[in-house]
Amino acid sequence: MVASPTSLNALELQRVSVAQRLRDVSLNLSHGCLAGLIGPNGSGKSTLLQAAAGLLPAEGEVRWAGRPMLKIPVMERGRMATWVPQEARFEFGFSVRSVVAQGRFAHGDDERGVDAALERFDLAGLAQRPVNQLSGGERHRVLLARAVATEAPLQLWDEPLAQLDPRHALDVVALGRELASSGKTVLLSLHDLRVAHGLDFVVVLAGGQLRAAGKPIDVLTPSLLRDVFGVQLRTGPGMILELP
Amino acid sequence: MSTTRASPWILPLACALLAGLVVASIAIGDFPLSPARLWAGLTNEDALAATVIYQIRLPRVIVAVLVGAALSGGGLVMQAYFRNGLASPGLLGVSSGGSAGAVIAIAAGWATASLSVLPIAAVIGALLATGAVLVLARHGASTERLLLAGVALNALLGAVTSYVLSSYTLSYERNAQILFWLLGGLEDRTWEHVFMALPIVSAAALLWPLGRRMDLLSLGADEAQSLGVDVRRLRGWMLALTTVLTALATAVAGTVGFVGLIVPHVFRLLAGPEHRRLVPLCLVGGAAFVLACDLLARSVGGVRLGVITSLIGGPFFLWLLRRRA
Repeated sequence: MVASPTSLNALELQRVSVAQRLRDVSLNLSHGCLAGLIGPNGSGKSTLLQAAAGLLPAEGEVRWAGRPMLKIPVMERGRMATWVPQEARFEFGFSVRSVVAQGRFAHGDDERGVDAALERFDLAGLAQRPVNQLSGGERHRVLLARAVATEAPLQLWDEPLAQLDPRHALDVVALGRELASSGKTVLLSLHDLRVAHGLDFVVVLAGGQLRAAGKPIDVLTPSLLRDVFGVQLRTGPGMILELP
Repeated sequence: MSTTRASPWILPLACALLAGLVVASIAIGDFPLSPARLWAGLTNEDALAATVIYQIRLPRVIVAVLVGAALSGGGLVMQAYFRNGLASPGLLGVSSGGSAGAVIAIAAGWATASLSVLPIAAVIGALLATGAVLVLARHGASTERLLLAGVALNALLGAVTSYVLSSYTLSYERNAQILFWLLGGLEDRTWEHVFMALPIVSAAALLWPLGRRMDLLSLGADEAQSLGVDVRRLRGWMLALTTVLTALATAVAGTVGFVGLIVPHVFRLLAGPEHRRLVPLCLVGGAAFVLACDLLARSVGGVRLGVITSLIGGPFFLWLLRRRA
């Protein structure tokens, strides 16, 4: 199954498989697309993101702008694609600022945009704090700030919203939209279907296979949600949160 | 937070401390040298002082400096490799392999043939042990497998050493020689030992350029890879350099414990976790620590260097942890 939101392909997955975790996934995402990756626990979301970043040995092929991802030299890949892990574990007490500045490693450690990234994630006041003394949500913001500092045109974020408070979560989605409108491709995994509904594109995984991909309004149908997640969709009055 | 903003004075202070310890180690001993006699000896005007300095004390001092720098540098690299402040250079069986090699050489009586037999046996043992760990772990990428293979091999080699030791209980002389070596020490080091340990200098010099990459690796291998670090290659270098450093240190000084664990830890607490800063600090600090311990071992008399490093290192480490908690 191949799904493509628009014509210009940025990220292409061709029949990508990872032993026991992902089977035969083909997917195209365009430049300037903010895409959500949803699926039940263990459906292969993290694996797909890692394979897309070229971090896992996978069958099939991952291409970025037509080039096979694994053939791109590691340093250059560091400028093109960035991946944010689901868990933010820090053993050593690097300062917040120095971790965000690691995002510039592949650019010769030029520190460009580091302070702006700190600002963007409300981290300027914490810049000198050791990362291993931060809360889970703050750590995650540090990792996202580092990813943004890379200025990579492909941003792969593994459950970036899971640990964040409502305001920062909305802010991350808003940032994803900003990045997408500047031409970057953002693929993030998430569990909040209401948030997924507001994205440009959604990819649905179940049991390591691609179940659906396309515009949220076409994909997130009651029958698919029942099939994949075992939940009943009911529309009606509810609480809506927005950034002021 | 002082842990992340390092004082620019730490490295100069450590260098000054090391220089002071070098001078003190040359001057102090059974044959004490006054400043005037020290100078006369260094300039070869006083033949007796010159002999003491150039034939006895200087080689010992240089070996101590090299061993301290090697163990501390090796420990720093292993801690970044395993993302764990409790990792030590002997984790992958290098030290226990070196010990087993040396102990077998002593027990078999080969060690009496030449001064260099023991160090060479230790280096061979150390390299064989690391090689075995790498082969056993096979899928080089997984640090857990590597760690488990190292633990298993350390136990095995420890058993070999104990077996040899226990089967020579009747041969007092050889047993004493083995124990002496196992507890680590720098007595009677010669220029031969200095030359043998000299590759430590180049291995240590190669650590610094890896510093920035080690920063990234110590926060996660996949993250580092995604930021542009060739993790496979970096890990290969880190393993090779630690193996060389630890094998040579073990070869010329026996097993000297705790240096590789405590010195990097202390400097991380004092100067923060950035490796470009930590590499020179650990090299200088490790050298100063071993030199100070050796000076103490000489002054007390009859106490082995390996015993002193642990006796001082342990309580100091605990005190530092409490203070920083």
